[in-house]
Parts: sequence; structure tokens; C-alpha cells
Amino acid sequence: MPLTKQLETPRTTMKKLTVALAGNPNAGKTTLFNALTGARQHVGNWPGVTVEKKEGVLKYAGREIHVIDLPGTYSLTAYSLEEIIARNFIVESRPDVVVDVVDASNLERNLYLATQLLEMGAKLVIALNMIDVAQGRSINIDEKKLSELLGVAVIPTNGKKGVGIEELLRSAIEAAESGAGPDRQRSVNYGTEVEEELAKIEEALVPVAAIVNGLSRRWLAVKLLEGDSEIAKKIEAAPNLEGIFKQVDHSRKHLTDIFADSPEIILTDARYGFASGAVRRAVQLEATDRVHLSEAIDRMLTHRLVGPLILFLVIYLLYTFTFQGSEPFVSAFKAFFKWLGAQMSAALPEGLLKSLVVSGIIDGVGGVLGFTPLIAFMFFAIAVLEDTGYMARIAFMLDRVLRGFGLHGASMLALMVSGGIAGGCAVPGIMATRTLKEPKERLVTILVAPLMNCGAKMPVYALLIGAFFADKQARMMLLLTVISWVMALTAGKIIRSTVLKGPSAPFVLELPPYRTPTLRGLLIHTWERTWMYLKKAGTVILAVSIVLWATMTFPSLPKEKTQAYEEREQKLVADFLSNPSVAPVFKSETDIEEFEKVRAEVAAGKSDAVATQNPALLELIRSLGRSNATDAVAPASSGPAGSKSLAEVYAAFSRQKKAIEGEKLSAQLQNTVGGRIGTALETVFRPMGFDWRTNVALLGGFAAKEVVVATLGTAYSLGEVKSEAAESLTEKLQKEPGWNPLVAFTLILFVMLYNPCLTTLVVIKKESGKWRWTLFAMVYTTVLAYCVALVVHSVGSFFGLGVT
Amino acid sequence: MQVPAFIVDKSSEDQNVEIVRRPSEDKCAECPELRGNECRARMALSDYRPGQKGKVVQVCGNPDFRRRMMEMGFVKGTEVSVVKYAPLNDPMELVLMGYHVSLRKDQAADIIMNAPDKAA
Repeated sequence: MPLTKQLETPRTTMKKLTVALAGNPNAGKTTLFNALTGARQHVGNWPGVTVEKKEGVLKYAGREIHVIDLPGTYSLTAYSLEEIIARNFIVESRPDVVVDVVDASNLERNLYLATQLLEMGAKLVIALNMIDVAQGRSINIDEKKLSELLGVAVIPTNGKKGVGIEELLRSAIEAAESGAGPDRQRSVNYGTEVEEELAKIEEALVPVAAIVNGLSRRWLAVKLLEGDSEIAKKIEAAPNLEGIFKQVDHSRKHLTDIFADSPEIILTDARYGFASGAVRRAVQLEATDRVHLSEAIDRMLTHRLVGPLILFLVIYLLYTFTFQGSEPFVSAFKAFFKWLGAQMSAALPEGLLKSLVVSGIIDGVGGVLGFTPLIAFMFFAIAVLEDTGYMARIAFMLDRVLRGFGLHGASMLALMVSGGIAGGCAVPGIMATRTLKEPKERLVTILVAPLMNCGAKMPVYALLIGAFFADKQARMMLLLTVISWVMALTAGKIIRSTVLKGPSAPFVLELPPYRTPTLRGLLIHTWERTWMYLKKAGTVILAVSIVLWATMTFPSLPKEKTQAYEEREQKLVADFLSNPSVAPVFKSETDIEEFEKVRAEVAAGKSDAVATQNPALLELIRSLGRSNATDAVAPASSGPAGSKSLAEVYAAFSRQKKAIEGEKLSAQLQNTVGGRIGTALETVFRPMGFDWRTNVALLGGFAAKEVVVATLGTAYSLGEVKSEAAESLTEKLQKEPGWNPLVAFTLILFVMLYNPCLTTLVVIKKESGKWRWTLFAMVYTTVLAYCVALVVHSVGSFFGLGVT
Repeated sequence: MQVPAFIVDKSSEDQNVEIVRRPSEDKCAECPELRGNECRARMALSDYRPGQKGKVVQVCGNPDFRRRMMEMGFVKGTEVSVVKYAPLNDPMELVLMGYHVSLRKDQAADIIMNAPDKAA
């Protein structure tokens, strides 16, 4: 329910207010945020980190209210990135009012955060959210009493239905604009001993007041007493820093002696004492033995035997929904870019510019943007899992398995989406790691996700399996699926015990009650994440596509070589035209070109264009069409053509012409920077049986793995090969002396493991926040691929496996 | 809501197994309050069976972990009950202060409880 109506008439100038939403995870903060701001929200990241920052604006009662959704936290110590962000925002940006979104059905733990917000001296309003759930569980909260106890306004709300939103806004405005504000607010009393020490620290802090203007001195004192290093940094400029630290040290020692425990533990205990005291006085719990619906559902969904089965079903459905559901849209996107390419092809003159626009930009960027529907569908499916609460159960059930590999229960989903069942995509997979809050486990998941069998590797597998393992396709696919899981889990284990060593963060996974998500919430979620992907992917990928295109295009073939090909081609044309059976129909090269055009039109089904044509040509088209099936395999005729029919002569001519063009393209490719790198890499890749052609194809695979097939086609002088029509390439590879099943299998493994594709790298950068990790992902995957390929090829050669 | 008969949790059948595991001596040494024998009279949360309920006595372990657990509500006197264990027996699901949370067993081993009230 977006709030557009205004209760009071606007004053002369719009007053601006900043409202920060704080609260525990799963307290319905996002739903409330959506209810407040509607679709007018902006999603970005907090500066320098990859934690989502959401902002929205609304107009109410003549004010322009900026709402900032702080990350959901249980506390405001410097425990996690989220907590530091939330705290710094309140301390440094000084919002006019902080709304603490509290889950009414889980009041005690939620009030713990409130005690810290009170202590910070922020102007606070409490939204007693999900009040309906609490009432449903016979938890009766006396909000007036609670308001009295805490000294702040307490407004019952229901974000899903939009209940209490206006009242919340009114209270927020009132709190923001009343001068008195925080003075009325109560905060935790830590008991005589602690309070005495706090008073001493506060006194030492008096000269600091100028530096940390507006900061509550009490809060500073509490944080220092807790030994908070982030806060210690903030007062570095204090004139009497040494005196302050001395006092803090002294107080900490003193309290540790008295309580036989560290001050932070004592303070935490006291805050909970305050929270539970408030709950005891303001909440009446009607005793019920009724099993909640949510618990009954959970009993089934996380059941020992039934639970995992349902889990597999859910993952299967997610898969089907994401990949099959988005299929028509992906096709439409691809068709659009194909159409765009064709339009540009037609509009631009032959040459470099055309090549750049069509092969470089449209193919490159289009290939990436084509993913968009897939991403959107995946985000929607994930939003459903998150908003219903099932995501937490997946992590709960699978944690034991994945923990052994340095991963987290929630890593499962990311790995499945990346291609756990062959055919996923690492891009949405890596983006799905956002549900993982533990930084190390999340990073490991991001780093190993590209090892899974994504859809772009499928054309490569299909080509090579089709060529060398045609009789055991299904078994090969199963084997490859198993290998990729083994590789990803092993790599996870190794990375976790070397590069990302160290104890994992405590696994604290809240299992929220099952809830019905709102369609609006799901759509907002989906849209904002998809949009972020689009923005990032657009720019970086454009640049890299152009660079890759350039390496595969420049330098062009030297003039004499181009000339040699042209001469051969001209000679072929001349020979053809001088053939007695050809001469009456084709008189010049232009006739041949015209004929090819007509032939293409007929093939495309534009029969009306043919009506006016020469009947001899029409007959030729028909007979060529008949002989099409044998056209490709028929050996090139070399004898005198006089005895043959026009169709046979033409077929032979056209075959030879294509062969020359193919050779030219191949020579051209070998001459480019890419081709030269491929040739230079021959020494490195010889041990596994790859020649320059394979190497340059692998180089092309940096853009996207399916490019491997297309580049192989060019390198094997077939001209442009579309990955879906790779049949002739299959035959070519079977006949090539350098190829055998072992080399093919080695190449499959190499493609599976080596350098993640460009889009994935961009997403790794975005999600890990560091180029360092992107580079690490490139290096370790390629080294892994090389080692595995080397071992497989060497062992295979030694035992003579697959060497025909 | 009536739960279908086929999903009745069988894991509660072996509840009468006597609990032998005690928090180790090392862990007690980390707990200022629980040095010595007093600790051994208690029980680790990870030794609770599904359905058992008891009160937190102390959280052991490194300071960050202790703090984190306390922030999640594992403070002295909080009533915690074990709902179930995950299909592979780890992690475990707990209820405290009316919310559900999952902890790994090695973490729950650091949460010292009094003897459970009863087996449900």
C-alpha cells in the first residue's frame, strides 16, 4: 500500500526527513520497507562492500521522507560487516529517527537490539511488526506498557497488510521533530559497579565531545568498556587518548575481577535482563499446547527421510522453473540480438566496422544480455525459497555434508544452480550466494561454483562426446556430472584449508516460521537484483568483448597471402566458367553471385522471388537440393567435368570454393594475436595433445565456453560454424590425426575446469568485491584444469586408453 | 494441525540412552564460573535429546563465540529446548524465547545446561 495521499496540506517548502529502518533479520523489515516506499526505491551497495543498500522516498504530511533500510542484524557490536554498516550509519549519518522493526512474536530477542539503539541516543520508534502472528500465537502485548517501559513510541504494524503504517509515520515525524527526543528514552541500567565505571569513562571522555559531535557519550563509554576496537579508532584524535584508554583498561580489569567474567559478557547479560524484564511486564502469554501450523509443516519438510526427498523435488522444480520457464524468453532475447546483428550486417558496409559491431559488440554483449530472463527467473525462484523460509531449512539439512568441504549448508543451492545437474549457469549461482552470511564460506562457494557443468559447456561436451563417445553418451554425461562435483568439493576443501584458512564464523541459522510470501515483495526482489546484474554486466562486458574481438581479428593476413587465396579463387571461378556445361547458364562471376542469392531465397522459402527466374537455374536449384544430402561427403571431383551434369559441376565448384575460403579464414585466424598465442602455447599444451587450433578455441572460450565450438570450426577451416550445427566438425575431428578419444576427454575436462567465462568473472568481482579474488579464480581454475588434463592424458597414454 | 502418521519422528525413540558425554576439562577451564567439579554436574546442550528442555548455565568457548551466542539469547537462565536434529544428526534445531535457531553440535557442546527438565 504505497502512501501517496497527504494528510496535511504541504507547507511552503517540503521538509526533509531521514528515517533508518533497523531490526533483526526475519523481523519483516523488508516487507515494511516495501509497504512504506512502494516501488519508489533504489537498490545499491553500501560504499566499498557488497552488502545491499536500499533507499526509498515517500511524501507524507508535507514531508519528503527518505527511508534507508539498514542491514538486518541481531546486535550492533562489530561482529559482522552488516552490524558495522548499520551502526556507522546511525552514528555518522545521524538519521532523524530510527525505526526499530521488532518481531512481535519474538519480542525478547528483538528487544535486545532495541536496548542498543536506545543506548546510542538515536531518536527511536518501535514498529511492533507482525502483530497478527503474535496474536495468532496468543501472545498479548500491552504496547502502552512497553512504550512506557522503554520511553519510546511503540506502534503495532503488519507490513504485509499495511496496517499501522500511517501511525508509524506520524510517530516517526513526531519523534524526529520533538526537541526533547532521547531524554525521555530509557536505557539499560547495568548495576552499581558497572555504572560507576561507566561514569568514570564518561568523565574522561568529556574533552572528546567536540570530536565525536552528537555521539552519545554514554554509548561511547559502553563501547569502550566492551573493548570495541572500531570505536577506539573513532576517538584516535582525542587530546587525552592515553588517559581515556588507561581509565578503560582499569575499569575493564576492575569489573573482570568483581564478576569473574569479561565486561562485554556482563553487559550483554544485563541488556537481556532489561529486555526480558520489559517482556515480563508488557507481555501476557496464554498457555497453549497447540502445535503451530509452521511447526507441523516443518516436521515433514525436515523429516529424516521425507525431508531430503522433498528437498530434491524442490531443487528439481527450481531447476525446471528457472531453465525451462525462462527458455522462451531467452530464445526471444537471442532472436532479437540475431535480428539486430542481421540488421547491422545489412546496414553497414563490409569491413572492420561491421566486424566490430556484429562479431564484437552484438555477439559479445548480446550473449550476456541474453541471460537476463534466466537470471530473473532464478531470482524469483530464490526469492520464493527465501521469503517462505524454506531456504533456511535447505541449509539446515545439508550443512553436515557441505561443512566437511569448507562450505555451508546454504552453498548447496548456489552449486545446484551453477550446474549441479548439468545445464545450469554459474552467473545466477554465484549471485545466489547472497543468502550466505558467513563471509569465508560464501567466498569459497563463489570460487568453486564455476567448476560445475553449466549450460555453455554443453555444446562442447555434445560435440566431443558425439564425435568420440557416441555409443555411451548418457554414461559420459553422468561421469562428467560426478567429476564436476568431486572437483568443486575438493577445490572448496583445499581453498578453505589454505587461502581461506581459519575457523568459520559460528553457524547460527535462524529458522523463521514458514510464511506466505507476497507477490509484490517477490517481484520487487526479483526486479532489483536483475537490474543490478544488467547494469554491471552491460559495461564491463562491452569493453572485454571488444578486446577479445580485436585479438581474434588483428593483425590481418599480409597482402601477398590474401592475394594468393584470391588468385586461387579466381582461377577456380575461371575454370568453372569455361566448363562447357556451365557456359550457357553462367557467363560471369556476377551470375554466380546472383544465383547464390536466389538459391538462398529459395532455401528461405521466398518462392515468389523465384517465379521470374531463368528456368535452367531453377532446375539447377532443384537438382542441387536433391543431391544436398550427399553433397558434403562426396569426394571432390578432379577429372574433366565435361561428362558431368551442370548440377554436379556446380556442386564440386561450390565445395572447392568453400574449402579455399575456409583455408583463408583459418590462415587469417592463425595470423592474429589470438592465433599466435595459440601457436605459442603449443609447447605448453602439447603434453595433452592440443594443437594451436584447440588453444585458440580455448582462448575464445574466455568470452563464453560455447565459443570454443565456433572457434574450433573456424580453425578447422570450416568457415563460420554455429554451435548447434556442428555435425561436419564432428566428422572433421574424427578424421584428424591429432585427435582420439583420449584427447577429446582431456579437452572436455579442461573446458569443464579452466577459466570461468567473462560474465562469471564480472559477477565474481561484483560479489566478492575484489579483483584479487577474480584473478585468483582465473588462475586456480586454469592451473587445476591444466594439472587434471595433464594427469588424465599422461595416465591415459601410458595405459593406451582411448588412443586409437 | 494433525500430522500424518507416516512422518512421526522416530528419532525420539532412543531417548533413554544414558548421557555420558560431559563438557571437557578444557572447556571448563575457559569458563571462569565453572572451574572444577561444578561443571561436571552439568550437561552440554549437544547432549540433549529431541524434546528435552533445560536452562542455560554458561556459554564456554572463545570470547567472540560466547558473545555471539549470548546476543542470540543464550544467556544464563534462558530456557532452551531441542526440537530435532537434522537428517544427518547435525546441526540441531532449538527453540528459545519463542524462536527457532539451528546450531552445529560442536557449538552446542560449548553451551552448558542444567539437567533437562523432562523428556517429552
